[in-house]
Amino acid sequence: MEAYLLIGPSLAGFLLFLVVPIIGVFALSLFSWDLVGTPQFVGLANYRRLAGDGAAWTAVGNTVYYVALNIPAQTVLALLLALALNRKMRGGKVFRVLFVLPWMAMPVALGIIWTWAFDPRHGAVNHLLSLVGIAGPNWLTSTTWAMPVIASVNVWQYTGYTMLFLLAGLQAIPEQIYEAAAVDGVSAVQRFFKITLPLLRPSMFFVLITNVIGSFQLFDTVFVMTQGGPGTSTTTLNYYIYQQAFQLFHAGYAATLAIVLFAMILLVTAGQFLYFRKRTVYDFS
Amino acid sequence: MTGTAVRRTLLYAALLVGALISVAPYLMTLNASFKTTQGMFSTQAWTPAHPATFSNFASLWSQYDMSGFMVHTLIVSVAITVGQVLFCSLSAYAFARMEFPGRDLLFWAFVATMMVPQIVTLVPLFLIMSHFQLTDTYRALILPYVFGTPYGIFLVRQYFRTIPPDLEAAARIDGAGTWTILWRIILPLSRPILATLATVTFVNSWNNLLWPLMATSSERTTVITVGISALQGQYASQLNIVLTAAAVALLPLIAVFLVFQRHIVRSIALTGLK
Repeated sequence: MEAYLLIGPSLAGFLLFLVVPIIGVFALSLFSWDLVGTPQFVGLANYRRLAGDGAAWTAVGNTVYYVALNIPAQTVLALLLALALNRKMRGGKVFRVLFVLPWMAMPVALGIIWTWAFDPRHGAVNHLLSLVGIAGPNWLTSTTWAMPVIASVNVWQYTGYTMLFLLAGLQAIPEQIYEAAAVDGVSAVQRFFKITLPLLRPSMFFVLITNVIGSFQLFDTVFVMTQGGPGTSTTTLNYYIYQQAFQLFHAGYAATLAIVLFAMILLVTAGQFLYFRKRTVYDFS
Repeated sequence: MTGTAVRRTLLYAALLVGALISVAPYLMTLNASFKTTQGMFSTQAWTPAHPATFSNFASLWSQYDMSGFMVHTLIVSVAITVGQVLFCSLSAYAFARMEFPGRDLLFWAFVATMMVPQIVTLVPLFLIMSHFQLTDTYRALILPYVFGTPYGIFLVRQYFRTIPPDLEAAARIDGAGTWTILWRIILPLSRPILATLATVTFVNSWNNLLWPLMATSSERTTVITVGISALQGQYASQLNIVLTAAAVALLPLIAVFLVFQRHIVRSIALTGLK
């Protein structure tokens, strides 16, 4: 009885603000609603519209492209940093704090700062490039460069944070395993691929699952830096949903699109679960 | 130099470059907030503002309700943070230490919703809030997050499970009830994780854009993210002013972080391990 009292408030919040809205989004996807009037039942019309909406599938593609740019870069950099810091060294703690500083930055503010840094005439990036004789492009108005620039904001923000998890994973690997390997004359390369990486899987699993879920929901930096442009080259699915609901007032259709995003995340997360389950012992208890 | 010395030097050089990249955007933004519009275009981002001017702050505060934005955001963030720490601790304790029907099912239901993207719940949430005429109020911003999030409950529960149960057993023999045990034993032992949860929650609330953008529309509830993105459109040609606003939005969090950094660096790592 006491237990239910303790979880009561969280449970009420959970039901009202998570479970009801999740059921609600499926219901709402069967309605046409302009955010102010009464929702009108339209059956599967929103789903039929989705099938023929090229812009929605472009947004899906852009989202996948963003995740594919962001996650590998961030994970590899974080792993390199973690390997570098995984030893007794002077200043190790200071470096750790400095690397985590970007994590808490407001994405809206970062969007402003990156727009400035990548400004073709007054930005730091093109100035630095000009010092080595490269004429930098007009980054944010280029359909080729806009998305990589946006991805770089996220890489900057989360590499240090990801590094902390991987470093903890590295430190949990028992020293004896490395000692035994040294006795057997295992090379440094073999040691990394045969010992370190496999034993790092639980941390890698956690980091990839949470970062991928987060990356699929890119919104803030797009909103501030490009508003989905140039053209639709940075319109992610999350941004497209926002446009449909709050600029075009197609809230029912936006609900349908939200279900698509949900399904994408579920699929990718389930895929990661299956991949890692075969190869890792991860204790979920 | 020997081989190890060379390697050491290279290692430090690489780490220093990384550290520089981590802090440079902050420093350049702070620097830019003391420059004039002219200075912005005639000097490089890393050239110190000379002479330093405070006029950006003055014009920001005279044309925008910057203090208002910050106070609104502070009210919402503090309310959510206090609620999170309290309610997550209560349910985490029940999930970590008590036996009750449906415990595991409920816990995994909570955890599973971490996969649900924010936007999925926000569109129906907007419908709920407008039905109860709560849009454009603090309540609309606070209510969805104040009762604890799955992430918070998960984080605190994992930590509670590392506390030896013997401590509680001894207290129970002395006649202490659940509330006493929670208040006198568990919570004092859990300060690092509670500090972490508080910081993470405060940072997320302070930085949150999407829900306030949807749920609020008037000056009296404008939070700092919404305020700054509106201001960015208007001042496109006066980068020094926009960057000053960015600096103002970033600095409070750095202060919070530096106070709690020891706890955070340690406990962020803990959650990843299990």
